[in-house]
Amino acid sequence: MRIAVCRPQVPFSRGGAEIFTDELVRQLCARGHEAEIVSVPFKWYPGQRVLTQAFLWRLLDLSEADGRTIDLVVATKFPSYCIRHPNKVVWLLHQFRQAYELDRTDLGQFSESAEDRATRRRVQRLDRTALGEARKLFATSRNVADRLQRSTGLDAEVLPHPPQELAYRTDAYEPFVFSVGRLDRAKRIDLLLEAAAKQGIDVVVSGEGPDRERLERLGNGHVRFTGRVSEAELADLYARCRAVFYAPVDEDFGMVPFEAFLAEKPVVTTTDAGGPLDVVRDRKTGRVVEPTVDAVAGALAIGEEDARAWGRAGKALAEQVTWGSAIDRLLQ
Amino acid sequence: MKVAYYSPLPPSRSGVADYSELLLPELSKRVDVAVARHGRLRRFPSADVALYHIGNDPEAHGWIAKALAARPGVVALHEFVLHHLVAGLTLAHGDSRGYLDAMERGHGLAGRLLAFGVVEGRIPPLWETRPEAFPLAGDVLAAATGLIVHSDYVGSRVREAGFDGPVWRIPHPAWPLPDTKSVQVEGSPVIGCFGHLNESKRIPQLLAAFARLRADHPEARLLLVGSLAARLSGMDVPDGVIREDYVAEERLWSLMAACNAVVSLRSPTMGETSGTAIRALTLGKPLVVSDVGWFGELPDDVAIRVPVDEREVDRLAAALERLAADEQARDAMGAAARELVEREHSLPHVAELYASALEEAAGGMAVREVLLDDIARAAAEVAIEAADPEAGEISARVNEVGLGG
Repeated sequence: MRIAVCRPQVPFSRGGAEIFTDELVRQLCARGHEAEIVSVPFKWYPGQRVLTQAFLWRLLDLSEADGRTIDLVVATKFPSYCIRHPNKVVWLLHQFRQAYELDRTDLGQFSESAEDRATRRRVQRLDRTALGEARKLFATSRNVADRLQRSTGLDAEVLPHPPQELAYRTDAYEPFVFSVGRLDRAKRIDLLLEAAAKQGIDVVVSGEGPDRERLERLGNGHVRFTGRVSEAELADLYARCRAVFYAPVDEDFGMVPFEAFLAEKPVVTTTDAGGPLDVVRDRKTGRVVEPTVDAVAGALAIGEEDARAWGRAGKALAEQVTWGSAIDRLLQ
Repeated sequence: MKVAYYSPLPPSRSGVADYSELLLPELSKRVDVAVARHGRLRRFPSADVALYHIGNDPEAHGWIAKALAARPGVVALHEFVLHHLVAGLTLAHGDSRGYLDAMERGHGLAGRLLAFGVVEGRIPPLWETRPEAFPLAGDVLAAATGLIVHSDYVGSRVREAGFDGPVWRIPHPAWPLPDTKSVQVEGSPVIGCFGHLNESKRIPQLLAAFARLRADHPEARLLLVGSLAARLSGMDVPDGVIREDYVAEERLWSLMAACNAVVSLRSPTMGETSGTAIRALTLGKPLVVSDVGWFGELPDDVAIRVPVDEREVDRLAAALERLAADEQARDAMGAAARELVEREHSLPHVAELYASALEEAAGGMAVREVLLDDIARAAAEVAIEAADPEAGEISARVNEVGLGG
């Protein structure tokens, strides 16, 4: 089968979605399909620009390439699912969240002006049309599926995506908490830093992003910022840490919990984290606490024995999510 | 974003006043609402968009129709037939010419002649005899920049009338279930009919069907609740009918809660919805309705629809018999009714649809222009002109995803 995997690309930025789609293409190819990434740069500001950028996808013709039919397109996140194709399947990582649950929060983008309000509604309308015409809808977590249902009335099957392939191993439970991901406010690294400072726990933060400078100012002697790390370094940090912190606001899913579990490390998250709550269970595979500095500080203090037991339980969960079963469902 | 909100409000006894009283608190959580007051029209509230609730009652809606004429905006059209409203705005103020002109705009020279007959007293008032044939909605539609309707029926009627602006179909909101106890009514089954009881509610037909039901179910009762139109005051009322005049809201819910089924018939329809039917659905009561307008759009699993034809009484009697005999069917319809209310008529859902419509109405055109300017500029930069096939392709794609409207 010739399959185009569609993803938007924020130039010079790489995160979970890019890792996921690269791996999806690799896994499809490994199963004998011809698969390739189709990407369009994405800029969602200022003002109504988000619609123009989304519309670019609609002008692409992926019905065939070089005279040969493209059998399937797999769209992933806004606005790639605006693509037009008779056999469009969406494996939804997320919609344009600023138009939904992030609206009128610190993380929102639309003001109270009539133009901004209308732009937000147009994004919603675009979603209803573009997602509604998909032959099949999958969502990467229950949280994403529920949001989709609430916002558009469309139903999606939950299909968690397996984590990236790393040399996962368990070396030790050293007394530091690890955090990895794009450094922006939505990831709530500041909550980790304040809680860790209160508890006197060491923290390693990997990743880049617009919030790095502010976070570095918040850090103290207990925090090490590594910037972006190689796959080997990432596997090493997972292998050595005591626990992994992952508590974005109402997150879609994120690969971090499964990656941590594959290294047999528990995950500390919060009750409002969204997707991670599909797999992180309090005192079973990690800690789930209120999103306050005091509660997180308490949750970070995990003994080695608990960390080991919860990490193993998490690994058993993560091992059930394989590319083989995911691709079988995707191509049904 | 600010919305100027024009509607009758309590203590007006209009159904739209109840509607707005229900909607306003929830809508105000989503948009900034400035409520316009009757009698203070010299100063329009400043706002990004105005919303006018228009119905057929000139007393409740006359001032709103005047405000709409002065400043176009979005109209929540609660009824399609507005003949009574137009007559109230013209003839009731001695403005015969205004009425003649309105009839001519709506129905040509024949309309003007008919209106003349009404003015001269040579034919009975059309708003009493045949309003559905002369809806006179044209002036309101002409001033509306967008329409909110409650049914596909009204949506179709406004398109047929030539309205080409945006139309949003927004269900009637449901009231929160009140904490009232059911009254005790002797007999079973108990059928209810509520509201202003006039000929369009098919009361004679209902009474005839109920009399037949009593033949097999002598313990059956019909709660007939609401003020009775003068023209019906002399009709024969069969045994088993319990009459109550206009009742307050709390008593209405208590009486309805005592019913095994609620009948809400209508013909001719003016394109209205029924607050009574919505209340019955909220309570999980099976409905029997006329197969017209909004009523005819109720799903099969919550309502038995009765066509308005020569067999109306037969079918109505059969529907009542079916509900009387089959408790399981009543339960299933009741459960489906509650689900429908939760899914379609919940207040937050309806308020969200209102906010969405108003936000699109206020800023949608500006957004569209920016988007189309962006696209047109990019096309022009690579020498694609308006007449080129590529431009047509781009335009088709824009419309396909709803960005062009």
